[in-house]
Amino acid sequence: MSRPVVIAIVDDDRAVREALCELLQVEGMAALGFERAAAFLDRAGEFDCVISDVRMPEMDGLELQRRLRACGSAMPLIFVTSLDDETACAHALRAGAIAWFAKPVADAALLGTLRVVLGNTGGGA
Amino acid sequence: MEPLSHQEAADGADPELPPALLPRIGDVAHAGMDEESSAWSVFDISGARGLIARIAAGDMPDGWTRALLDAVRVVDIDDNALRALGPIGGRRRMVGAPVTVYWPAESWPVLAELIFAELADIPGAARTRKIVSSVFNDATVNISTDPAHPDLVFVSVGGSVTDKRSLWSLRASEERYRTLIHHLPWALVLVDSTAMLPIFDELRAAGVSDVGAHLDAHPGLPFESRAIVRVTDANRNAVELFGAGCADQLIGPVDYLFAASPDTAKRVITAHFDGRRNLTEIMKLRTFDGRLRDVQLSITYPTPPERLDVTLLMFEDVTERLQTEVQLRQLQEEYARAARIATLGELASSIAHEVNQPLAAIAMNAETSLRWLARDEPNLAKVEQLTKRIADSARHASEIVQRIRGMAGRHAPNRTALDLNRVVEEALMFVCHDIEARGIQLGVKLDIGLPRVLGDRVQLQQVVVNLLVNSLQALAGRPHSQIEITTSRDGFGGARLSVRDNGPGIAAEDLHRVFEGFFTTKQDGMGIGLAVCQSILAAHGGGISAANQAQGGAFFQVTLPPITD
Ligand SMILES: Nc1ncnc2c1ncn2[C@@H]1O[C@H](COP(=O)(O)OP(=O)(O)OP(=O)(O)O)[C@@H](O)[C@H]1O
Ligand SMILES: [Mg+2]
Repeated sequence: MSRPVVIAIVDDDRAVREALCELLQVEGMAALGFERAAAFLDRAGEFDCVISDVRMPEMDGLELQRRLRACGSAMPLIFVTSLDDETACAHALRAGAIAWFAKPVADAALLGTLRVVLGNTGGGA
Repeated sequence: MEPLSHQEAADGADPELPPALLPRIGDVAHAGMDEESSAWSVFDISGARGLIARIAAGDMPDGWTRALLDAVRVVDIDDNALRALGPIGGRRRMVGAPVTVYWPAESWPVLAELIFAELADIPGAARTRKIVSSVFNDATVNISTDPAHPDLVFVSVGGSVTDKRSLWSLRASEERYRTLIHHLPWALVLVDSTAMLPIFDELRAAGVSDVGAHLDAHPGLPFESRAIVRVTDANRNAVELFGAGCADQLIGPVDYLFAASPDTAKRVITAHFDGRRNLTEIMKLRTFDGRLRDVQLSITYPTPPERLDVTLLMFEDVTERLQTEVQLRQLQEEYARAARIATLGELASSIAHEVNQPLAAIAMNAETSLRWLARDEPNLAKVEQLTKRIADSARHASEIVQRIRGMAGRHAPNRTALDLNRVVEEALMFVCHDIEARGIQLGVKLDIGLPRVLGDRVQLQQVVVNLLVNSLQALAGRPHSQIEITTSRDGFGGARLSVRDNGPGIAAEDLHRVFEGFFTTKQDGMGIGLAVCQSILAAHGGGISAANQAQGGAFFQVTLPPITD
């Protein structure tokens, strides 16, 4: 693959979104933030992986997951959320989410998971 | 058909009535008229003799016809006369009454002249005169006397029976009516309240227009009225409701109807005086066997010019229904309590979520900074940028914590010029999740031209949150629930905030109490929410008011004064 891996970050909280982008960038991954799930879905084809919050206005993370799968995408999906909801977590994992991290997520855990998910194409630097 | 009550029983069965004086077919006095096409009455003229003598002597005062008929009393009437002329109050009511009580006024002169001519023995005077009648075409009224009864005159009205309002159809419809009343599934009582009319006339003449106030000032009147206004009939269900043995026990003064609800009696009189058509209310009723029942009373008053001058009182026993409602309310309260606990839980999780966001950003930014620093060539520019963000997030987190403290009421007020719209948006952060989770439709209408107000951000947020939480709770379990929050300018340069919902609203009797400390209608409420709002607004020189919307639902309005320098 010639182009770098691009990861989408979907979170309505700007501080969290930017922090996640920075974390990925320091490890040489290209990340693009979205405030709303719908905006991401419009451009889903451009990404290799998506990291999403769960509780968001308008469309939540679980609905994002459902729509992504409904249009045939197998893109890896990782949830990073402040929501402490076991049912939602179990539901997301059953529906094929790669991981469910509680905020604040340990950087090593998130980056490690991303590397596994993306294989060799992942790490840049 | 079963008789509606004892008083309509066959002639002669009533001990209070004189033996029938009415001529039967074949009697001389019957004058060959067909029983179906004539209506008979017997009058006692003894009281009118003085006046008749005066008139015969040439002294004919103005209005003599009425004066004469006022002095003539009804002794007996037949069924046809009863139907054609009489009120439903029945024969009992008519016997002994002056003729003017029921004889149509337009033919008073004819009747008076006939009686006068008959008794003054005016030679050659006609004994039959034409009158206009609603029952007969070509109606004639005929008078005769009987030497065996010198004080009596026999008056018959006859003619060809009119098509639509013939005696036949009147009789049939009356029978249908009585059968209907008798079998209606509600307790029905017929009351003759005409005795009130002269009293009302007197009151009006005396300039009384608010009879309710008059009754309060003259508590004797309701008692008096209850003795002169009489129940004339009652149906089977009424007998059963009152626990009476038979309808007879219900006939008589109405006072027993209102024994347990004297205030209802006042309102009944007031509504009658005011010329209202109907009155409905829930009242307590004491039965003959001493039980106390909750009944819904529905009254239909006669309105002129109706001939059937009878007031219909319908009673529906709602004791069980009210008990069910009380049980239902208890259930609802238990449910509301559970819902409130859930609300608190959800509020707590909203707050936790809000605080956790900046903390997560801080943690991630710190870790990222460490990674930049750990490089062989540390990127200090990046670290500086991230550290700034860390500081921002930390400040944001501490603001949220401050706000929660403010909610708990431990917060020194801090006045700044505020945009109330921002305050509303910030407050919504705390509750919007609950609002969404409950499927409540939230309308936010913020006036962008709102003037700034001087206030404590956290306290004003608390006001908004308290109002929203109350609306949330009021809407629990209701379909199509809506909350609308609006800001606007008031006419004096200040700002106004209103919160309205389409919940049950506030009971009228509670409206003036909702701001009292510890006043609550909730099983698990503390009753401090609105009290806190009020004290916050008082400290801001503003105000808060509660009302119900015409279409239902509570309406709270907050006003804040303009900034003056
Ligand atoms: N939106 C509303 N609709 C209907 N009734 C309301 C509404 N808001 C307030 N009330 C009435 O006013 C009462 C007092 O409200 P307040 O918020 O002061 O106390 P509370 O909600 O009962 O308890 P707490 O102080 O714990 O919130 C409520 O119990 C309720 O009867
Ligand atoms: Mg409250």
